[in-house]
Amino acid sequence: MDASFLDLLMAQQEEVTEAEGGGGIWVVADVVDGAVAPVTLEAIGAARNLAGALGAYVYAVLLGDGVSDLAATLYQAGADGVRVADHPALASFAVEPYMEVLVNLFQAEGPEVILFGATPQGQELAPRVAQRLGGGLIEHATAMTLDEATRTVQAAVPIYGGEYFEIVACPQARPQILTVEPGAFPAPFMDPYRKGEPKSVEVTPVEPRVRLLGPADNFTPPPVPLAQAPVIVAAGRQAGGFRLVEQLATALGGQVAGDRGARDAGWIRPEQIIDVRGVTVAPKVYVAVGIRGDTFHNAALENSRFILAIHPDPTAPIFRVADLCVEADPQEVLPALLQAMGA
Amino acid sequence: MRIVVILGRMLDPRGIVVNPRAGRIFVNREEYILQPADRCALEAALRIKEAVGAEVVALPRTFLPDDDVLRQALAIGADRAIYIAGKPVALPDDGLMARVLLAAVERLGEVDLILTGATTMDTGQGQLGPRLAEALGWPQIVGAWTAEVADGSVRAVRQDGGGYVWVEASLPAVVTFVPGALKLRYPDGRRLINIYKGVGEIAAALERWEAKDLVAPEALTPLLERRGQDFPPERERGVRLSGSPEEIARAAADALRSRLPR
Repeated sequence: MDASFLDLLMAQQEEVTEAEGGGGIWVVADVVDGAVAPVTLEAIGAARNLAGALGAYVYAVLLGDGVSDLAATLYQAGADGVRVADHPALASFAVEPYMEVLVNLFQAEGPEVILFGATPQGQELAPRVAQRLGGGLIEHATAMTLDEATRTVQAAVPIYGGEYFEIVACPQARPQILTVEPGAFPAPFMDPYRKGEPKSVEVTPVEPRVRLLGPADNFTPPPVPLAQAPVIVAAGRQAGGFRLVEQLATALGGQVAGDRGARDAGWIRPEQIIDVRGVTVAPKVYVAVGIRGDTFHNAALENSRFILAIHPDPTAPIFRVADLCVEADPQEVLPALLQAMGA
Repeated sequence: MRIVVILGRMLDPRGIVVNPRAGRIFVNREEYILQPADRCALEAALRIKEAVGAEVVALPRTFLPDDDVLRQALAIGADRAIYIAGKPVALPDDGLMARVLLAAVERLGEVDLILTGATTMDTGQGQLGPRLAEALGWPQIVGAWTAEVADGSVRAVRQDGGGYVWVEASLPAVVTFVPGALKLRYPDGRRLINIYKGVGEIAAALERWEAKDLVAPEALTPLLERRGQDFPPERERGVRLSGSPEEIARAAADALRSRLPR
């Protein structure tokens, strides 16, 4: 059996057909820069898993201008049916025109579960759709299981940004609407043999009620205090220099800080010293560059979600609190790290 | 002009310790703080009040066991606060609260602007503002950094891709604020003392409404149900990277990239 015969066989098997008569799991696609956002594909993958247990079909809704070609991607990711609302009025996201399309579609189709990406677009649309259809909305789902007896989706939602998770369900109200956290579900296998014929949806243009006035050039957001910064790159005595530390902070979109050694070297201001006697921090990412890590420093950063430490001394105490340890001279590792980060 | 600000509270994360191995949350210090994003909404309301004149009315985001949140709002500068008494639920249920607050806003009447937080810091809920906007049929500006009112419309700065843009909507409207959007003011000391002592004019500014008077009993059924808790895997500390500097850098870069906030 040669490969071309196999291709032919698979192509025959994977012609997707749609079910009659409503229900199903619906995924509202996010389109970013003319491509389907990864979170949408992840949501379709998650929907497929639920659909297997529910005995339901997975549908995707695509809204935008000139987006019909993207339907193929949605079929490949696992959608059984795709509805396309392709209209110049939908070119850029606005609540009212998108709502008009989605609500008309969902009222006609009666979906059982609706998934949005937890993106700015999804977070504006999902609550309004839930309110209009009378459904329950679970936000930022990072895992989904099914209560098969009642056909209820149970989702884990992160509390305090992922310190722990509450498992939440929407037992009575239908449809069940969820927003799916980007990156929480694995990307589905893209099957190039899966294809189908998308159906187009009628679009009645509606005027958006929020008008875009133009860029806010003179607006600068207030500075984030170091104690609340999500990303911190801190230098210590063994950093060997501050320039690369600053470059890494810029590349990661974070703030610079340091220990007392960095202050002694004149790299940072006193209010940037991370220490229980200075600032106590709890960022999502903390990079310690050449910091040995005394008790006072380590105690001030132990609530960080992820700590990367770079220090030449393998016995440095910072390595006991760090998640990832690099025993090397920062001046040798940082250029390679900056290059690997694409900076 | 009447501005409604919806405020919630959260358990101060500095007072809790999550132990994944024990599968438990230890509350060492039970202290509640105002939701940071809701505080920004209150600040924005007070700035609008100072600029164009308005009555600022504070409403609670959830059913609360006490009226502390509203007393704080009054101390910070709200003109009126209404405590809505109802049965506290284990999980904040914005679908349920949207019904109650819709009725409260309708009873208040002549509301031009509803301001609240775009997300709660503990549960990450951001549905209350858009749900109210939908229920009232008003436009919504989600994730504002600053807002001003002029000529019957509200203008706000919102993030758009990498930059910031001005957007505008006609009043009445709903605007939600991101946490940390504005520099906050401290509560006024005298107001703070008076509101907790229950003396002076300010004590009369705190009212109490019953949720069961606002909506039908069946509307008070929660939409969401808590089915348990889950904990992230325990952290494995002290993992050492080895290999050539390039390999180490690549592994470290991958680890950093997957953990950077989006």
